[in-house]
Amino acid sequence: MNATAVAEGNLLLARSQMAFTLGFHIVVACLGVGFPVLMLIAEGLAIRTGDPTWYALARRWSKSFAVLFAVGAVSGTVLSFELGLLWPSFMGTFGAVIGLPFTLEGFAFFLEAIFVGIYLYGWDRLSPRAHWWAGVPIVLSGLASAWFVVTANAWMNSPEGFVLTGGVVTSADPLRAMLNQATPAQTAHMIVAAYMVSGFLVASVYAGSRLRGRNGVYHRRAMALGLTLGAVFAPIQIVVGDLSAKMVARTQPVKLAAMEGQFRTGPHAPLRIGGLPDEVTGQTNFALEIPGGLSWLAYGESSAVVRGLDSFPTTDWPPVALVHVAFQLMVGTGVALFALAVWSAWAAWRRRALPDGRGFLLAVVAAGPLAVLALEAGWVVTEVGRQPWIVQGVMRTTEAVTRAPGIGVLFTATLATYSLLGAGAVLILRLLAREPVPPARLEATSHAA
Amino acid sequence: MPPETAVLALLVVALTLYAVLGGADFGAGVWEVNTALQAPERERTLLYRAIGPVWEANHVWLIFALVVLQTAFPRASAAVMQALWLPLFLGLLGIVFRGAGFAFRSYAAGAVLQQQIWGVVFALGSTAAPFFLGAAAGAVASGRLAITSDGHFAGSFLTGWISPLSIFAAFFAVGGCAYLAAVYLTREAAQAGDQELAHLWRVRSLATGAWMGVLAFAGVAIVASDAPALWAGFRERGLPFVAVSFVTGCGSLFGLWRGGFGLAVTAAAATVGSVILGLAASQYPVLVPPGLTLDFAKAPDRVLLAVLCAVGGGVVVLVPALFLLFRTFKRRPRQPPGALGTLAVSCLAPGPKSRGRCR
Repeated sequence: MNATAVAEGNLLLARSQMAFTLGFHIVVACLGVGFPVLMLIAEGLAIRTGDPTWYALARRWSKSFAVLFAVGAVSGTVLSFELGLLWPSFMGTFGAVIGLPFTLEGFAFFLEAIFVGIYLYGWDRLSPRAHWWAGVPIVLSGLASAWFVVTANAWMNSPEGFVLTGGVVTSADPLRAMLNQATPAQTAHMIVAAYMVSGFLVASVYAGSRLRGRNGVYHRRAMALGLTLGAVFAPIQIVVGDLSAKMVARTQPVKLAAMEGQFRTGPHAPLRIGGLPDEVTGQTNFALEIPGGLSWLAYGESSAVVRGLDSFPTTDWPPVALVHVAFQLMVGTGVALFALAVWSAWAAWRRRALPDGRGFLLAVVAAGPLAVLALEAGWVVTEVGRQPWIVQGVMRTTEAVTRAPGIGVLFTATLATYSLLGAGAVLILRLLAREPVPPARLEATSHAA
Repeated sequence: MPPETAVLALLVVALTLYAVLGGADFGAGVWEVNTALQAPERERTLLYRAIGPVWEANHVWLIFALVVLQTAFPRASAAVMQALWLPLFLGLLGIVFRGAGFAFRSYAAGAVLQQQIWGVVFALGSTAAPFFLGAAAGAVASGRLAITSDGHFAGSFLTGWISPLSIFAAFFAVGGCAYLAAVYLTREAAQAGDQELAHLWRVRSLATGAWMGVLAFAGVAIVASDAPALWAGFRERGLPFVAVSFVTGCGSLFGLWRGGFGLAVTAAAATVGSVILGLAASQYPVLVPPGLTLDFAKAPDRVLLAVLCAVGGGVVVLVPALFLLFRTFKRRPRQPPGALGTLAVSCLAPGPKSRGRCR
């Protein structure tokens, strides 16, 4: 087999492996960013009010966080190796340009790991205040990690800050690369998503418990706190998401065209809700069209010209149907979560309490998986929407992929490993959830003492 | 000093710290394998308690070294990643299972079977990781990787990394981790006041230390016969490091013998550290032998300077944080524990007070 044939064969496998491991890591990483916020709020409330329920929640959550952090740390390590193992030409050529955010992320992660150690093992060694403060760097460095890593991805979407001569980077401005055009909107979009996913997932777990009859103050508060975090960020995400789409219109018009199923270039481009693009006929069928909506959303004027897929050679098109459907899923889910946020806020304002009904609890249960769905769909839009490029307009994914054999075996081994990892994490989290609610146990201890 | 040399020095320091700190965490798992997971619960508790708070932070040195390598010497990194994908991938599996196994085991309280399973996973992962990472390091050092001076790998993707030195390095790395762990655990046990365990680990570390000393000489012989280029550099620049390693190695054994465990820990770390520093010095200025030099592989100067600035800034934040971590957990607690725990328990105590503020 010659090198090109190996590359062709490897491409699908390497992309599948990357998609799978990133798709796994992104959920755990988001929880790693968002969960500590909930933990610290609960612990802060425990210190402020002296209420043992908050304390119990914080302590319980810190165990779940420990498991999730370990899984996130190892799956993140896999990714940092994978970049080089699967895409050696990409990292060999551009490692210097995007290495700065990775290095800085290394520091942020370092700081996080240090304070995670102090926080998790310091419950009985530090004063309550000192312990709470040990959690603050976890929140901040989680935020910073997410920001740094996403700047590297933003650079792949909007590459700047380097000179390429004969396939070699001869000069580079790593700061400009890091602060590329796509960075502000994309990093904000990701971080807000991390908070939403964490909030809604936690709320979802406890709403489930409540539906099964565990309806005490512990479960109510846990759900309310998670839901509050999700609900605060849901409306913000709509604004940030809109900014993201406007940025894509500027930096990656072909991705925008695929997202919207817009084949024809022209003014008054409609906004499509739903629909299935057909690359052969160049039509997006079954969509509800709002005339001029896309032109208005992307450029602020309903008469603005939107470049459709027809202004780009078909060899530069991403898989249109997949990108469009993923985008629709993300937006649809985001709107649904926003609706839930409005429902919760309205009830909280009118009745001074969250609704108790079965319908509301079912909606909250659904919100967790939906938030994850939106997250994954958004990631598909970003990554698949950039194909066939690994670095938009500069390097094709085929050029980047490794020539090493055995990538199929590697992928199989990875699938097996991650299945074990995922199953293990779920088992342990369930085990933690089955423990009796801590206050009861502590009470027993104090009676005994 | 040109920026690329400074960054290379950073890289070597990071790898050394990874070996000295992270290596001991792996070593704890290696001992679990060595005792066929039959260690009594008390022994295991010490082991888990010792690495619990620090292993995540110790692990980051590897990530740090990796990102610096990718950033500052991208073409060397790409070549090595292609040539060594198999041992690196296997080492990575070890890292994944070690970390997951440890965390899962720690939080599977009550579920005996699950704890046992994750204990096995942790032990095997902890052994596989240094084995394959050691093999990868040995493969680079051997100079037998078919990497051309323009950074292309032309060898076998499956077996290109196997050589006498890489096999030796794999076992040597596992042994080194076990040695570090045994010495550190001797001190931990002594600090915890458990004389019996301290004695056990002391005997283990003396035996492993003596055995590793013999192996180290064998290693020098293998380098002489299997890696001529490294051997030449070694004779030129490696000898001081060998001397340091020998002296500190003897020092750690002496410390163990005489019960000076603080000395033993420092000296053992220095022994392992100087092996890595000696390897790097012998190889300099070749980055990936035989022919990939620092000059060729380095990123543009601006990138190197950015990395140096980032590291400078990072160190300012990191050093106090690391200090705090090790001070909190690697010293005997001075204050009675349970500050926040006490708060909760007292709040829950029956009586009229339990509703109010509890401070």
